[in-house]
Amino acid sequence: MKHCLIVDDSRVVRTVAGRIVKDLSFSVSEAADGAQALEMCRAEMPDAILLDWNMPVMNGLDFLRALRREEKGKDPVVVFCTNENDSEHISEAIRAGANEYIMKPFDADIVESKFAEVGLV
Amino acid sequence: MQETTFNELADLALRQSGQNIPASKAYLMEARLSTIARRENFATLDDLVHCLKARPNPRFEQEVAAALTGKSTCFFGDRDLLDKLVEQALPKRLEHSKTGRLRVWCAGVSTGQEAWSLAILLREAVGSPLANAEIEIIGTDLSTQCIETAKQGVYGHFDVQKGLSIHRLMTNFDRRDNGDWSIKPDLQSAVNFRRHNLLEPTRDLGQFDVIMCCNVLSGLADGARRQVIGTMSAHLLPEAFLFVGTNESVQGLSDAIKPSRALRGAFERDVANASTAAA
Repeated sequence: MKHCLIVDDSRVVRTVAGRIVKDLSFSVSEAADGAQALEMCRAEMPDAILLDWNMPVMNGLDFLRALRREEKGKDPVVVFCTNENDSEHISEAIRAGANEYIMKPFDADIVESKFAEVGLV
Repeated sequence: MQETTFNELADLALRQSGQNIPASKAYLMEARLSTIARRENFATLDDLVHCLKARPNPRFEQEVAAALTGKSTCFFGDRDLLDKLVEQALPKRLEHSKTGRLRVWCAGVSTGQEAWSLAILLREAVGSPLANAEIEIIGTDLSTQCIETAKQGVYGHFDVQKGLSIHRLMTNFDRRDNGDWSIKPDLQSAVNFRRHNLLEPTRDLGQFDVIMCCNVLSGLADGARRQVIGTMSAHLLPEAFLFVGTNESVQGLSDAIKPSRALRGAFERDVANASTAAA
């Protein structure tokens, strides 16, 4: 079973996204900010990361840049999932190493479609 | 909704667009017509049908029938078929072309996503023989409203996130201030959209190298399916390809077409019966 780390400071979003990703046959773990997520990745690199942008302590973009510098940090497929829906933010995320991008609000079909785009399902 | 209302609407759909709507799908009628009913201030579909009968209005009947089709569509909905078209069907046709010009008809294209997906794939075909070909894509649909949406090439937040990768979205669309996304101006001219009812004569459409008619036939009554296939065969160039939806079959429906010898899964005009098809 593939493992997905959901990184979002909203517990509601983590719960909703977690249910959707579990339905896609992933095991799920959660982090509330980028720093916590980075520690979890250092302990065990997930297959996929669903990543919010605006979070306390360490935001999603800084987390992604730090992740990609880690040993095996290029392995996880990173899918941003954020309210930052303009072209500039999307371009910046891709430059930093994001594989896909979900614009909130999202539904199960969008998550499945985006995961399919990057070969996760 | 009263039974007589269902029967009137089902008759209208059959007459106008050849659709076969069974009684078990009555609930779909309510969903598909709710926007029109609200806009025209009808409290119920019974009122809408009563008005249609009391004051016949061909344009409004056409709009109601179009709304009843309710074909759902998304970008790259049938990816395998689109790949086959770009990697096999069109290159084969190009080999036979003396002019380097190819014509594709996307029939029953709804709000245009299938045709735009094809245009995007062709734009990406750098290095392929198709890169130097002149390929005309025509998208048609029964619904004026759908065709207007397709022409505008403007899609909502949810539409652009199903079937489109973020790379394709950023390459081929511009974000609008309201959060919608519009096809980039340099791609706009890649597809011509026009309203067309597949049951009506199509003399001015010309002939095609490829016709795509996906997820249209399965909703039609048998007679309408035969008629549509006959029309399409008349618009196929010799040895050109007709594709239908993955779960749709046209075998046995008409003598006018037969399975393609050159491309598995496609159909071609049966030249021996061509006169029947064109009649």
